[in-house]
Amino acid sequence: MDAIYGLFSSSDAARHALAALRTGSPELGIKKESIIVISSAPLEGEGLGWEEQRSRMPWLAVLGGLVGATTGYALASFTQRAYPLPTGGMPIVAPWPTGIVMYELMMLGAILTTIVTFLITARLPRYRDRIYDPEVSYGKVLVGVAEADRDLSAKVTQRLYEQGAEQVKEITGHQERLRERQPGI
Amino acid sequence: MAPNSVTQTNVIDQEAERIREDLLRPLFRTSWRFYTVVGVLVAIGLPGLAAFIYQSYSGLGVAGLSNPVFWGFYITNFVFWIGISHAGTLISAILRLVNAGWRRPVTRCAEAITVFALVIGGQFPVIHLGRPWLFFWLIPYPSERHIWPNFRSPLLWDFLAISTYITGSVTFLLLPIIPDWATVRDRSTGLRKRIYTVLALGWQGTPREWHRLETAMSIMTVAIIPVAVSVHSIVSWDFAMALVPGWHSTVFGPYFVVGAIFSGIAALIIAMALLRKFLHLEEYLTPVHFNNLGKLLLLMSLLWFYFVFAERLTVWYGNETAEMPGFWSVQRGQFAGLFWTMVACNFLIPFPILAIKKLRTITGTVIASATVVVGMWLERFLIVVPSLEHKFLPYNWGSYRPTWVEITIMVGTAAGMVLLYVLFAKFVPIISMWELRGGEHATAAEVAARGVVGRSGAVPDATLLGTNG
Amino acid sequence: MAHQWGMVIDLDRCTGCEACVVACHAENNIATVSPEEAARGRTMHWIHVERHWEGEYPNVRARFRPVLCQQCGAAPCEPVCPTYASYHTAEGLNAQVYNRCIGTRYCANACPYTVRVFNWFSPEWDKPLHLQLNPDVSVREGGVMEKCTFCSQRITAAEIHAQAENRELRDGDVTPACVQSCPAGAMVFGDLSDPTSQVSRLARLARGSKLLEELGTLPAITYLERE
Repeated sequence: MDAIYGLFSSSDAARHALAALRTGSPELGIKKESIIVISSAPLEGEGLGWEEQRSRMPWLAVLGGLVGATTGYALASFTQRAYPLPTGGMPIVAPWPTGIVMYELMMLGAILTTIVTFLITARLPRYRDRIYDPEVSYGKVLVGVAEADRDLSAKVTQRLYEQGAEQVKEITGHQERLRERQPGI
Repeated sequence: MAPNSVTQTNVIDQEAERIREDLLRPLFRTSWRFYTVVGVLVAIGLPGLAAFIYQSYSGLGVAGLSNPVFWGFYITNFVFWIGISHAGTLISAILRLVNAGWRRPVTRCAEAITVFALVIGGQFPVIHLGRPWLFFWLIPYPSERHIWPNFRSPLLWDFLAISTYITGSVTFLLLPIIPDWATVRDRSTGLRKRIYTVLALGWQGTPREWHRLETAMSIMTVAIIPVAVSVHSIVSWDFAMALVPGWHSTVFGPYFVVGAIFSGIAALIIAMALLRKFLHLEEYLTPVHFNNLGKLLLLMSLLWFYFVFAERLTVWYGNETAEMPGFWSVQRGQFAGLFWTMVACNFLIPFPILAIKKLRTITGTVIASATVVVGMWLERFLIVVPSLEHKFLPYNWGSYRPTWVEITIMVGTAAGMVLLYVLFAKFVPIISMWELRGGEHATAAEVAARGVVGRSGAVPDATLLGTNG
Repeated sequence: MAHQWGMVIDLDRCTGCEACVVACHAENNIATVSPEEAARGRTMHWIHVERHWEGEYPNVRARFRPVLCQQCGAAPCEPVCPTYASYHTAEGLNAQVYNRCIGTRYCANACPYTVRVFNWFSPEWDKPLHLQLNPDVSVREGGVMEKCTFCSQRITAAEIHAQAENRELRDGDVTPACVQSCPAGAMVFGDLSDPTSQVSRLARLARGSKLLEELGTLPAITYLERE
């Protein structure tokens, strides 16, 4: 995975850098999808790409709940009918207890769906081919481009330093070799 | 172009770095005190395990149970721990839902209580079985016996509810830990780095990841509250479904839920006070948190009193022949001492402490919480045992006295709970770092408008549940 | 139509001799416990005789009421069992399947008559008493619940006999151990679905009543009160 990125110490600077990369993308020759932002806290409402995020997770959770409730009904009816044993004068598939089983499995369905959709849509776990810099966990915001060739690197480096990057780094090859780039190259 | 307001940014950066250092210190530095605590807890816990093995080997008769008191300490402890489990997930979810800013340093230590209390509480239904090695017959799975569990049994509802609850609680606890594990990963070396690398799932911190995490958390918040309510309702229905005078009551569902939240908050306050002291989190878990939780505890104390009064009044006024012997044994018979201790512990002592502003300090709330935990244990005991001692036919009345086996197991499991919690605080930052840093990346203008960014993150903007007093 | 087994116990005839208790122990391989265990309320009797005192001293009279599983039509003990160890048979019996029981003891709590007994320990018989166990009845292990079966092994045996003789079961073919051993003839067992059977006729008597009838458990045992 090749990439070039700058580390910014405030979300303001990172936002400006992101805007600069985006507006300059045709001129720099980079694809908008390959622009990356990485931070150690959610940057909600700060013009850093959060706004473009959409997901259907809540609806999928509802769907998971419905599947769970159906499973609950199936479990509490088919298994009881498969080996019918009367107890306490109750019907074999007793409505009130079945309601409880359906309810619990509905919630379980919604929870499990949420776990799965979270992992899939957030693309986790993902141990390889990641762009990351440990500096992020010290509070820096990373803005960069997930593609890099020699020409591009120079221009992007320039642009990132102009926007106040504290450091600009480049990743080349699969070994994630990090190379710091100096301004003005 | 230079970064705007350089000084402001640097101040915030340093501040944030100090927070991380404070919160990560327990993970990286281990004092002799940690080993001592773990050693002591293991020493208390192991006899409990030995007692359980002894009981499984000899037969349940080594416990103090008898005909007609078929349930005793084990079920009391089961209900007690499930109640304590309502500390976390439920309270944390409610605080998240109403977006109470002061919740940020509290949520994780609360959610951890839930998970471990469920782990401990969930053992009791197995411990109390006559043939505990067959506990898995409760699980609905296709077997060679061609028979499935009976879904009409409240114990099956219990199994399903607790499974759902523990799945939800673990998720609720673990999701927000992922970014913090990423931070630990970035700062550690060697084996520890490798472990945390795996645990962090390759978390980067892209807007996509953050968005999905927050979406997942808001779904979980909405989902976990009804689950928590259902869990303790179903625990109460274990009793209410049985045709036993004193148990067969419609008030039990809400009564148990209120009692659970009540004891849960008390446990949370105690845990927070201990964490504050031993992990030096004085600047994060502030008197504001104890004050706010103290107010919640006060509210629950009043609600609890209301429910006890409603339940007692209904029985007394109805004056049914079958109900009264159990009722009087609690009010003025052999259980009267325990009953009035319970009233003192759950209401008479905590109420003034929590109602008087001056006493609602850290020490005050901890004292109130300690009495509440004792009182709520007694409440569970007084629900389980006196009713069983006085069923319909007086000829069959009996009595119950726990043996050393039950007491050893009870103490051992309690130590196990504390041990799990201590280990958790050792391997996970007990306060959610990224949530605490919520305001860190705010623009300079926002920061200025908000005043100084407190180290306890969002304490200054805690308006919803009140920070005054 | 399936039989509906039931019993009538005439309290006017019961002398409280407890022969039924002893016979039940012998027939059903019920364990005996030590005096200490008995004092703790751990006797294993499937049937016990309640003794009540009536009147004020010196004009007191002892009253006796044998209580065994009432084989309820709507039994509170059955639905609470998570493993179906307790269920209702087609012949109206309240069955307990020992091998399915995991020992939650929930059924015993739910039973308003407190007639279910639990094996707190695995039973032992001093030699040579282990040789006198009834081969028709399984021996239970520690940790399981057990209770009166209306001597289901005798019901089965009678049905096999009738089948061998190519006839229907007759009234009086089945006699549980307690009924058989009652010297006063206070207990009568039979098929309640047959209106002409002795047990049906006695159950219809005006002095018949059910124990804790108000709970709606529909017991199969009718007590004939003293006159």
